[in-house]
Amino acid sequence: MRFRNRGNSERRNQPNDEVISLTNLCEGERGVIIHAFGGFGLVRRLAEMGLTPGVEVKLLRKCAFHGPLQIEVRGVALALGYGVASRVFVRPLKAESNG
Amino acid sequence: MAKQLRIALAGNANVGKSAIFNQLTGLNQIVGNWPGKTVERAEGTLHFKGYTIRIIDLPGIYSLSTFSMEEIVSRDYIAIEKPDIIINVIDASALERNLYFTLQLLELEAPIIVDLNQVDFAAKKGIKIDVEKLSSALGVPIVPTVAITGSGISELLSTVTAVISGKGKFKPLKVRYGKEIENRVQAIEELINAKLPQLCTVYPARWIAMKLLERDTDVAGKLKNYENGKEVLDYAEKSASELEKIHGETSPVIIASERYGFAAKIAKTVTIIEAPPKISLEQKLDALTTHKILGYPILAAVLASMFTLIFLGGNFISTGLDYVFGSFTTYAESILSLILPEIAVSLISNGILSGIVAGITVALPYIVPFYILLALLEDSGYLPRAAFLMDNLMHKIGLHGKAFIPLILGYGCSVPACIGCRIMETERERFLSAFVVVLIPCAARTVIILGLVGRFVGLHAALALYAFDLILVFLLGRIAFKVLPGEPVGLIMEMPAYKKPSTRNIILKTWSRTRDFVFIAFPIIIAGSIAIEALSLSGLMNYMVEAASPVMSGWLGLPPIASIPLIFGILRKELALILLGDVLFQQGMGLQDLTAIQMVVFSLVAMIYIPCLATIAACIKEFGWKKALAIAAIDIGLALFLGGLAYRLLSLLIAS
Repeated sequence: MRFRNRGNSERRNQPNDEVISLTNLCEGERGVIIHAFGGFGLVRRLAEMGLTPGVEVKLLRKCAFHGPLQIEVRGVALALGYGVASRVFVRPLKAESNG
Repeated sequence: MAKQLRIALAGNANVGKSAIFNQLTGLNQIVGNWPGKTVERAEGTLHFKGYTIRIIDLPGIYSLSTFSMEEIVSRDYIAIEKPDIIINVIDASALERNLYFTLQLLELEAPIIVDLNQVDFAAKKGIKIDVEKLSSALGVPIVPTVAITGSGISELLSTVTAVISGKGKFKPLKVRYGKEIENRVQAIEELINAKLPQLCTVYPARWIAMKLLERDTDVAGKLKNYENGKEVLDYAEKSASELEKIHGETSPVIIASERYGFAAKIAKTVTIIEAPPKISLEQKLDALTTHKILGYPILAAVLASMFTLIFLGGNFISTGLDYVFGSFTTYAESILSLILPEIAVSLISNGILSGIVAGITVALPYIVPFYILLALLEDSGYLPRAAFLMDNLMHKIGLHGKAFIPLILGYGCSVPACIGCRIMETERERFLSAFVVVLIPCAARTVIILGLVGRFVGLHAALALYAFDLILVFLLGRIAFKVLPGEPVGLIMEMPAYKKPSTRNIILKTWSRTRDFVFIAFPIIIAGSIAIEALSLSGLMNYMVEAASPVMSGWLGLPPIASIPLIFGILRKELALILLGDVLFQQGMGLQDLTAIQMVVFSLVAMIYIPCLATIAACIKEFGWKKALAIAAIDIGLALFLGGLAYRLLSLLIAS
């Protein structure tokens, strides 16, 4: 079930090993979107729902057994299937007191 | 002579567009279809200050790209039919995301007025919007409203007429991007102006340029019809590739990113955070109902009580209506036979009347309570939570969480369940869900399963049939998922905040849906009834029994006459059981004279063989003739195949 890197991922300069999949964030943790992998349509749809590189997201909750998760992005709660979320990569932010 | 105006409501899903629509149009609402498309829009008329205004409620969408049918349809409506004004309804509590759509409307150079809705809800979250500032930032009038209470609605209309008559400020913002995008867009725009002047009369040249740069396949397709289209396309393609090389992202993402940046900047300057957000009751409810453990028992309880209500309520009303209409038909029949020849009476009473009665007594009693509860669930915001919880399980049959909703509805009645498949994003997912949904035994099929197998063979056999059906649904879902072309779509769904449903809205919704169902399904039910009655009167029915005999007795091991109830069962599934009793009685037998195997086979076939006529009608409405017939054909084939298989396997099993 692991995400497989497509060829084009190597072209991107991975800043450091701190970049993790959205599914690896903890509940309540925040992160900044780095990149979303996947087909043209999926990536575009994610971008249209506000998940563009550089935007801050907060993981609200996860379901058990590789279930879907809920995030907050641009003031809106979104539900993402596990498959979708595993293609979105974020750099976790240090925990700060902000809501 | 009143002046005519056409106004379209456009905006994201869940911003209160339908509530605004209902406030504007009141009970004048009609629900219509786009020709040939399955996407629904609502239309209504109102009179205001000497204007006759037609309001069109476009489907809720997040962008004007081509991810879904709704987006293409809305975009073409705005660009081609050019309504006089577009009221862009936006949610004050999620300004940034909503402005993203507003910016796209501005790019399409559509004449817009912004309806800043749910200002009360935003205030509750501690958010206040500086309306003046937002208005000057966008260059269009902004009207704050609370759709549920109707506050701000008359101001909205006054603003519309003011803009139409040239009063009021109206200098829409020109959306401009950073150099990298802007230079390329302008270059493509110039090329389009020079090479494709015809196309620029429909769409703004800059907008076409933007869409080409975004690699929009729909717009690219339009260009292919023109002589110089290829040249422009190649140039745009080159520009998009350059852009992608610089950023390492696909061009739609780069542009969306910048557009969102723009929206965020505007949102930031006009938003005043008054109070730090408190944890509200709604948020607590949200946390509880999507809890990773507690969420599931709550979901089970909600669904169980919903189905108990639909089943009990529907059963009660159905029985009552059956009683009333039963005597009505007999009465009508005796009056008709005084004035008309016998054949005409038969046609009218067994054809038209029984069709109408079946619709009223069987379908409506379950459908109306169902619509009410569905509207309640929809308006409260629980459905997305249920879909969220079930996402994992639904992925196993190639669908995502949202498909759980129509699937569950299928146990009540396949018709609303089929229509409910509309919540899926793509045509493929809608069809896949409908394919699975019609196999779920609805209340009518439950009558057969419980009334025949449950009663004479035993509850264990009936339950085994249900279990078998679930396995079948799972297997077929998986097969269909593998066979149907196209990529499965993952779950991406907005989770709206919980809201208290408004009674008025629920009634309006239930009413318009019921009316829709009656207008579509009833004529077909009646026509079907007449056709079947005519077959029987002309004596063709006997030939059919003869013809079907090899299948019925040879393959399925049923009495040949059982083909009649099965054919009639297309009309309404429980009719199959009633008629089976009738035809057996004519031959001096009763239901109890059938063997256990025959009962199981009959029920199995009736459960799978074809969605009833009303369901086929709903499928035709949603997916067109071809796909509806494909579903029906697959189900018939499958039912006959499995019926014969069950007959042989069970005979072997019992003989040994």
